[in-house]
Amino acid sequence: MSTVLHAHPESGPALGIADSGKTRKVLSEAGMRGRWWRFALILAITVIVLVPIMVTVVLAFTPGANSTATGFTFENLANVFNGTLAATWLQNSLVTTLSTVLVSVAVAAPAGYVLSRGRSKAVSGYSLLLFVMQSLPIITSVVPLFILFAAMGLVDNLLGITIIYVGSTMTVATWMMAAYFDSIPISLEEASWIDGCSVFGSFTKVVLRNSLPGILSTAIFAFLLAWNDYLVAIVFLRSNEIFTLPMGVQSFFQQNATDWTSVMALAVVMMLPPIIVFATLNKYFSVGGIGGSLAGR
Amino acid sequence: MSSTTATSGLSRARRGVAPGGSGAVPGKRKSKLSAQTTRTFFWLLLPSVVLLVLIHGYPLIHAAVQATHDGDLLQTGNFVGGENFASVLSSPAFWKAAQFTLWFTIVGVFGSWLVGLGLALLLRTRIPAGNTFKVLLLLPWVVPIVVSSTAWNWLVATPDSLIPSIFRGLGLGTPLFLADPTLASITVMVFKVWVSFPFMMMMISAALASVDTTVYEAASMDGASKWQQFTQITLPLIARSTYISWILMTIFCVNDFPTIYLLTGGGPVSATTSLVVLAYRTVFQDFATGPGVAIAFLMTMTLVVISVILYRQIRKSSVE
Repeated sequence: MSTVLHAHPESGPALGIADSGKTRKVLSEAGMRGRWWRFALILAITVIVLVPIMVTVVLAFTPGANSTATGFTFENLANVFNGTLAATWLQNSLVTTLSTVLVSVAVAAPAGYVLSRGRSKAVSGYSLLLFVMQSLPIITSVVPLFILFAAMGLVDNLLGITIIYVGSTMTVATWMMAAYFDSIPISLEEASWIDGCSVFGSFTKVVLRNSLPGILSTAIFAFLLAWNDYLVAIVFLRSNEIFTLPMGVQSFFQQNATDWTSVMALAVVMMLPPIIVFATLNKYFSVGGIGGSLAGR
Repeated sequence: MSSTTATSGLSRARRGVAPGGSGAVPGKRKSKLSAQTTRTFFWLLLPSVVLLVLIHGYPLIHAAVQATHDGDLLQTGNFVGGENFASVLSSPAFWKAAQFTLWFTIVGVFGSWLVGLGLALLLRTRIPAGNTFKVLLLLPWVVPIVVSSTAWNWLVATPDSLIPSIFRGLGLGTPLFLADPTLASITVMVFKVWVSFPFMMMMISAALASVDTTVYEAASMDGASKWQQFTQITLPLIARSTYISWILMTIFCVNDFPTIYLLTGGGPVSATTSLVVLAYRTVFQDFATGPGVAIAFLMTMTLVVISVILYRQIRKSSVE
């Protein structure tokens, strides 16, 4: 990549600087008009793209068919929380998702460190293995795991799905952590080794301490995957009070397909946590997790 | 993990980054540190390996067993050899699902890439509040599929939904987006593109951000047209990340379950049944565990081969 960028290291910039001031002034008026055209275009596209999300939010706060309220209302939300197990589902989702995030990062960070620092065949083989595993359809593991977990009493159990979520986020999470650790210069660690620090010590005290952005991106990735999962939940969860939100929303939707305002109120409950996470941490958000890691490594 | 390779690896890594340091470390101390390093690496990797074996390794082997037996979800049953594979491979439903998966993947990958590329190029220019749009346009990727599929259902499912009503108002008839087999396939694919384009947009934006803009100034001074700049400069510069994003999106599309299942359930008349949906239905609705796992296993084998080949190529391109 860098070779392409600096193909003409001498000739390019020298010519560019001499003329750039003039060009910029000439461009400015036409440029300004172009900017506003592009603004209008992107605004139109964004509005169209977000229609499904806006519809969800609007309906959630619109009075239902049997309601006497008018205008904006929290009635649907209140109905959903009073009439269904929404609070339980929300709690179940939060518990499984947050446990997944914690354990996944705790497993992926040390493994990512080995992947980043180790240069042996075994380490690169493990890295390939992780890549292959993340590309396999979860449906293949789900059936054998269902049988195994049934024998262990882990079907219809939040611990059961949490274990699967950790397993399925861990592969990509390890890659993401490794890619981040690659960016931490080993000279920092060498300094601590000279001071008598062990490798484990430098990992926890030097590398981890400087890896908050990498840990946060990995955590966001695991959060979204666990929060949004439907396939594992539909296979492993059976009873209403063990449902996570995807199952709750879906079962409620199937039973009350015409009561759109309530369905959407529940949908908003489910949508809110990922949007809050995204809104507060979006600078650490890396789409698809492994995408950035692959591109970066 | 062999101890010698791992330790020499670490010291090589250290030498690579800080060439001055390697000579300064006395040989004795280095080897002590190395043995210790290997042990540390082993413990650091152990939890990950255990999980990988439990959640990925064991199920894969067990799936191979199930695919060759006539059992159900409770017992393994009798060994039937390749019978399940034979019955799957000779069933029209399998090939129909394979065909749908192929189209779904092609449209999903290239549709989302084109939309993502267009938006990434647009957002790269100076636009008022450009960053806000960038964040807002990522929402389809962030919002749970359960939620967005519900919203799409509200928009298109019945003749009185919003979008069919708009079509009717424009005198274009009343399209049955989820009831007509062809239209349902198209709708699911459009939904997939809607969900996935932010991924492409983000990947391409990241690649574009590292491009030095003076390259373009030089090119336009040399008389290159906008189109030439796009094909000669932009595309080659984002080629690597484009390639990676195609691979990953292919994997995401082939493995996709909720996007299809939640919008159409695989219908109407199995028109939108992909291989994963077929495997799910075969196991959990028809209770034919053997054939269902055989379908999943065939997909798995195909994906293992594809991903190993592609991984090698990505690695090769990163060395260059």
